[in-house]
Amino acid sequence: MTFPSFSLKKRIGTKDEVLNKVIIATASLVIVLFFLLFFYVPLTKILKFSFIEQGKITLEYFSDVINSPMNRSALIFSFYQAFLSTIICLVIGIPASYFLAKYEFRGKKVLINLLTIPFVLPPIVVLLGFIITYDANGWVNTIWQTISGSNNPLINIFGSIEGILIAHIFYNISVIIRITIPAWENIDYDLIDVAKTLGTSKWRRFRKIIFPQIFNHIVSASLLVFIYAFNSFAIVLYLGQVRFQTLEVRIYKEMVRSLDFQSGTALAVIQLIINTLIIVFYLVSEKRTRRMAMGKEKSLKKEKINFRKYSTGKKLVVFISIIYMISLFIFTFAPILAIIIESFKPAVESVSSFWGYGQLFSTEYNSYLHSAPLRMLLNTLWFASLNMIITILISLSLLFIIRNRFQRLRKYKTSRVEGMISYLILLPMATSSITLAVGLFLQFRTFSWYNNAVWVFIILAHVLISVPFATRSILASYNRIDVELLNVASTLGASRLRIFAKIELPLILKGLIVGGIFSFAISLGEFGATNFLVKTEYGTLSVGIYNLFGSHTLQLPAAMASILILITILCFIMIQKIGDIDLKV
Amino acid sequence: MVNLEINDLSMRYEKKYILEDLRLNVEHGELLVLLGESGCGKTTLIKIIAGIIEPEKGKIIMEDEDITLFSPQRRKMGYVPQAQVLFPHMTVKSNISFGLKSHKKSKEEIKEKIRWVAELIQIEELLERYSSEISGGQKQRVALARAMAIEPHMLLLDEPLSSIDATGRESLALTIRRIQKETETTTIYVTHNQEEARLISDRVAVIYDGKVQQIGKVTEIDNSPKNYLIAKIMGSPNVWPIFYIKETDENTILNTTVGEIKLPKQTNKKITGISISPSCFKPSLEKKSRTDLEKSQFIEFKGEVKSMVQRDERTIRAVIELEGEKFDYAKIDVDKEDFEDILSSDQKIFLYVDTSEVNIL
Repeated sequence: MTFPSFSLKKRIGTKDEVLNKVIIATASLVIVLFFLLFFYVPLTKILKFSFIEQGKITLEYFSDVINSPMNRSALIFSFYQAFLSTIICLVIGIPASYFLAKYEFRGKKVLINLLTIPFVLPPIVVLLGFIITYDANGWVNTIWQTISGSNNPLINIFGSIEGILIAHIFYNISVIIRITIPAWENIDYDLIDVAKTLGTSKWRRFRKIIFPQIFNHIVSASLLVFIYAFNSFAIVLYLGQVRFQTLEVRIYKEMVRSLDFQSGTALAVIQLIINTLIIVFYLVSEKRTRRMAMGKEKSLKKEKINFRKYSTGKKLVVFISIIYMISLFIFTFAPILAIIIESFKPAVESVSSFWGYGQLFSTEYNSYLHSAPLRMLLNTLWFASLNMIITILISLSLLFIIRNRFQRLRKYKTSRVEGMISYLILLPMATSSITLAVGLFLQFRTFSWYNNAVWVFIILAHVLISVPFATRSILASYNRIDVELLNVASTLGASRLRIFAKIELPLILKGLIVGGIFSFAISLGEFGATNFLVKTEYGTLSVGIYNLFGSHTLQLPAAMASILILITILCFIMIQKIGDIDLKV
Repeated sequence: MVNLEINDLSMRYEKKYILEDLRLNVEHGELLVLLGESGCGKTTLIKIIAGIIEPEKGKIIMEDEDITLFSPQRRKMGYVPQAQVLFPHMTVKSNISFGLKSHKKSKEEIKEKIRWVAELIQIEELLERYSSEISGGQKQRVALARAMAIEPHMLLLDEPLSSIDATGRESLALTIRRIQKETETTTIYVTHNQEEARLISDRVAVIYDGKVQQIGKVTEIDNSPKNYLIAKIMGSPNVWPIFYIKETDENTILNTTVGEIKLPKQTNKKITGISISPSCFKPSLEKKSRTDLEKSQFIEFKGEVKSMVQRDERTIRAVIELEGEKFDYAKIDVDKEDFEDILSSDQKIFLYVDTSEVNIL
């Protein structure tokens, strides 16, 4: 009389649905295997090194690590400099973002984009630019000494905290500017008008209405800057010298220079825990920001700069703002320009201006570099390309799993898949580049083929670093697709594969390309993990430039860096042309 | 032309029933309007019929075939969602041909179908444009064309007029009706607006509490709504709910939002509310005494005139704010000649209704 209840549960399986199941199973397998093999299993290896001594669990290494003054000061310094960097970035960046949000002028978009370039530059390139610009014989100090007549340099970037801070500000100011511009733009000015009619004072209006609306954006941006500065490697490694070290630098030194794997991995675990906490905090704040951003229509009234209309006071304010923006622009572009000029500046007069670029083809520096600069360039491009392809494949696999959530939505059940995936990539996201590399190294070093396959592991490390960025970019564009489009397509008889090919794929293509180029750019300049894993002829340009810092002329590294700058800017222009860059993790 | 039978359909969302043991029959070639207030589950129902949502329980039978477990691809339903969603990266033409290509039609056939449907829905001049280049009303026409191109078994329309400006509504509604008649497509049309139902429906199904509460022609439901809520959803004027009922030997006393109403003894049915036709109110500027009211029983209302609109050459419809704690309004139709010069805004007025004219709901 009644039908057995399970008959309803099971839908009639069509060819389409079977195929879909096969695709999802394959994608899940790829994802799980990849993260298990190259992240989670290596991670357990790290845990094993740091927690287990002769088969017993011990916290000895942790207490050793924490009791070591060197490590403790690295931990404290990591926090201290990250905190300072964040505060200074906020102080400098927020007025700039307000100016950029409020005023309309020709070339504004270009200016915002140009100010973002440092963020995508390879850290080693930034480092080189800083050395050329702020070194004792660098531009800034030379100009200062000429003007003031003093013999003492204005800035000393080596072994001082200033150098590190300036570099971090240079790097991260764009994060603050880019994230807070929409915050200013999204302020609901209707609310302010309402508050005015209610007779609220100016200060109260700011505190109760404007500030809450921008606060979440500021928190998100600050947490990002904090995490980037906290995990800073190349800049601190070189500029901090022995005095200042971040955890990331300590891990590297313990692992590579002292070969103390126990201390290195223990530090890595501590760093991972801190990073995870910050990232979770960040994701929560991000979610809140997005929720608040919804449903706002009226936004900041843009104003064209028009000096004639202004009162004297306003003229002064706008004038100072413009000077401020110009200074910021010079600050951003001086190091980049310095590198390009340096690449044409011979150390001795007998040498041609193009010596640096000519040297790319020579083997003269092989004792430093282990291979010709040209080979390094090819390695860099090859790694970046492979990284891009693998990253896109992994992101697409993730997408195939996520899009299946509509199956659950059909039954009015919330999807667990998306949550699971965000947890799955949360940990790799929170893991520093060096730790990723350490894991791969410890896990695979005992294999006889390890040394010949080092390049594979370099690429894998790059993939682990790029996947969270790429996935976020792709998911962001996927989530903008209206579910009803897919519903309509299915009622029109389109198979799941056809819906993907004809509707979803074209609509996420931009995100996919941006994600791909972004991962290409990340790999292009990646230094920490590459430098840790690198062996013999598998060096990249970043590694090469770093190894040449000590040489008598910076012309060759400047030439190599100029090539990186050129490629990075090309990538950046492409991303800008296609869509919006997402600086967020 | 198909018929559709829905049996004992249930669906929950976060443990709350949206649809509960719902039954519905849609007859061959008719246009059935599902009428209900926002959140009553009518969109869920139409999505279940389209196969987009899977019901927890129940059966959907189309032309004697059980399609409950069919995927949306297999059902061949022409679904037009509430938001005007066209595939944004395709031209109008590609939007329309999408379904035809999915059904693997030949090139000639696709061309022929596009021409046919474009002519039918009068969008020939839009074919090469993109979704961003056409108006809201045009988008909805294209969405309709896209659904009709595959010659669906049924047409499922979810509030098709909701996001279209007032001037375009009637014309689109009549277009839908014309197409539905011409192609003899069995159609389900979801809306919360009873005027749309009056304009184009063959039959109306009123939904609330997860069930179809009453189904029939508009006039049938208007004449004998099953209860107070249905009358209200149908947009009848002067509908008031009942709080409680007192019974005496001769009378039934109904306590309503507009006061106590004493009626001759009622026995025939469960009382949920009352309605009074606007033409049954007898307005008067002065309070009438018992003797003025002849022998029959009258109910008295007190209130103030709030607005007056001319209905036709002879009648004026006035809105009266009734005296009481809550703001209740009565709509009354009065003779233009008698009252045009007498009534004015905010004027106090008495209304008298013969108890025999009170409709029990």
